[in-house]
Amino acid sequence: MSNSTPTRRSFLKDAIRRFSQNRLALLGLFLVGFILFLAVFADLLSPFAYDRVYFDRVLLMPFDHPEHPLGTDEVGRDYLSRLIYGARTSMMVSLSVQLIALAIGLPIGALAGYFGGAFDFVISRIIDIMTAFPALLFTILIISVLGGGMLTIIVALSITSWIVIARITRAQILTLREQEYCTAARGIGASEWRILFRHLLPNAMSPILIAVSLGIPTAIFAEAGLSFLGLGVNDPIASWGKMVGASNAYVRVYWHLALLPTLAIALTMLGFSFLGDGLRDALDPKQKIRV
Amino acid sequence: MLGYICGRILALMMILLAVSVIVFSLMHSVPGGPFDERKGRLPPAAKANILKKYGLDQPVWKQYINYMSHAVRFDFGIPYQRPHTTVAKLISKSWAITVQVGLTTIVVAFGFGILAGVYAAYHQNSWIDTLVTFVSSLGVTVPNFVVAMWLILVFAVSLNWLPMGGWGSSGQCLIDKYFCTDWILPVVAYAIAPMAIVARYTRASIVEVMGEDYVRTARAKGLSEVKVMRKHVFRNAQIPMVTALGTEIPNLITGSIFIESTFRINGLGKYFVTSTLNRDYPMIMATFLLIAFLWGILYLLTDIAYTMIDPRVRLGAKSLS
Repeated sequence: MSNSTPTRRSFLKDAIRRFSQNRLALLGLFLVGFILFLAVFADLLSPFAYDRVYFDRVLLMPFDHPEHPLGTDEVGRDYLSRLIYGARTSMMVSLSVQLIALAIGLPIGALAGYFGGAFDFVISRIIDIMTAFPALLFTILIISVLGGGMLTIIVALSITSWIVIARITRAQILTLREQEYCTAARGIGASEWRILFRHLLPNAMSPILIAVSLGIPTAIFAEAGLSFLGLGVNDPIASWGKMVGASNAYVRVYWHLALLPTLAIALTMLGFSFLGDGLRDALDPKQKIRV
Repeated sequence: MLGYICGRILALMMILLAVSVIVFSLMHSVPGGPFDERKGRLPPAAKANILKKYGLDQPVWKQYINYMSHAVRFDFGIPYQRPHTTVAKLISKSWAITVQVGLTTIVVAFGFGILAGVYAAYHQNSWIDTLVTFVSSLGVTVPNFVVAMWLILVFAVSLNWLPMGGWGSSGQCLIDKYFCTDWILPVVAYAIAPMAIVARYTRASIVEVMGEDYVRTARAKGLSEVKVMRKHVFRNAQIPMVTALGTEIPNLITGSIFIESTFRINGLGKYFVTSTLNRDYPMIMATFLLIAFLWGILYLLTDIAYTMIDPRVRLGAKSLS
């Protein structure tokens, strides 16, 4: 008898199976794992401290000096170490921005979508206003008001990122609350909060998680871009974007100063995008059209 | 239709008002102003005089009303950093360059993007299709300043074919000061991401339409392949393509800060960064208002374009999100 009935699989098991059959997603997972490993163990892995300066070893090319396999930068800091610590900056900014965005955007979007009314009106208008111009300009304005530094960047990027999460959560809750199981739960006398937390939010989680995972490369890009413009993290903290920006003056001869950090940015963003796309395909199999 | 457009324009004006209040209050919410002494102190009397000249001694709400009453007459004041010109002149001068970059990029991105998308859709799973998919996922993910650096490394540094930066200053131009050799790298770097998006949208929508029953009917009744493509496939594939157009054009017209600073182009984005760093209030306000206005108008035009190519679309219908 048991052979004729199809084996029951949980949604999670199904998702994991779909994910592990996706080669690009696995590549993304590997890249992300590698970058996170570098970020967490930067102190152990890098041969030098990120701010250790050798004034007699300025602008060495890769393989010129046995102690500096990837050369040194314009003030004589080991480039390999700077690249490894750059992973830490990038991960720190992008992951905290998305966590803060989730912590603010999820409850606000859920409450606005579920209860509607004046609160929803205010939130919707804030979303309208914030999407009326490029988020990057607003981020730069906030940074210019608050002054630079890693904490400011995280704050400024969080202010613009929670909007995305709130909008998606609100739209999800709005569609889900009209579903039959929601009416049924209300019919048997479940409280509003129970419906919201037990019935609606778990069903809304997939698109929200996808938005968060695809928001990470956006935040990586924003941090790198701001640091590239000179509006990002302060010296001597290593940041890939800042390394690209600083390399501009030396690129004619010391090409490695530009090439290595741009490769790091590109690989990290590709990794997170593949991972996010894979998560989307695994968690939301209904969404077939891939544009 | 007319009522809908009027409603949208009214909403846009409310948004512009809100944007102006937010930006104005943010700029004035922290201590420090454009005339703080960085190099040597000014005598108190002289500083009071400067503040008075620019109205900075008045309460913030009064400054705001003062500013806005001039702004609605397109008088955006005088930039603090360049007192010999006006904000309107400076912005129109720098925006003209940004628009040149943007329009050239739009032509390149949409021209090649649509071509590649159509070709890939028509030759599904060929090596060209794989190449288009690969390049477009790379183009969407990798930031444009990274692509810009790679292009500089290859074509300016190692091959030495093209200049590293500038806009219309290389001396080798097609027409007068336009379409110069130093336009190539910034336009290519800027165009790759929108080109990728356009190619993906085009490919996806054409593939979808080609599977529709009415296309099979058209083939069955013996229409030539060219006619099937032109009359049935393209017409219906246009709708998602306009979506891509509508969201990319406001971005491209208002320029990229990264492209402009990588290639040392004196456009709007570059002025925006320098004016935020210098707390040049009139410049910041005017840039924000201009960009919010352009975004609003262009999104409205996209929505109107929808109704033109797809008669099924009704504007003003209540949507969930």
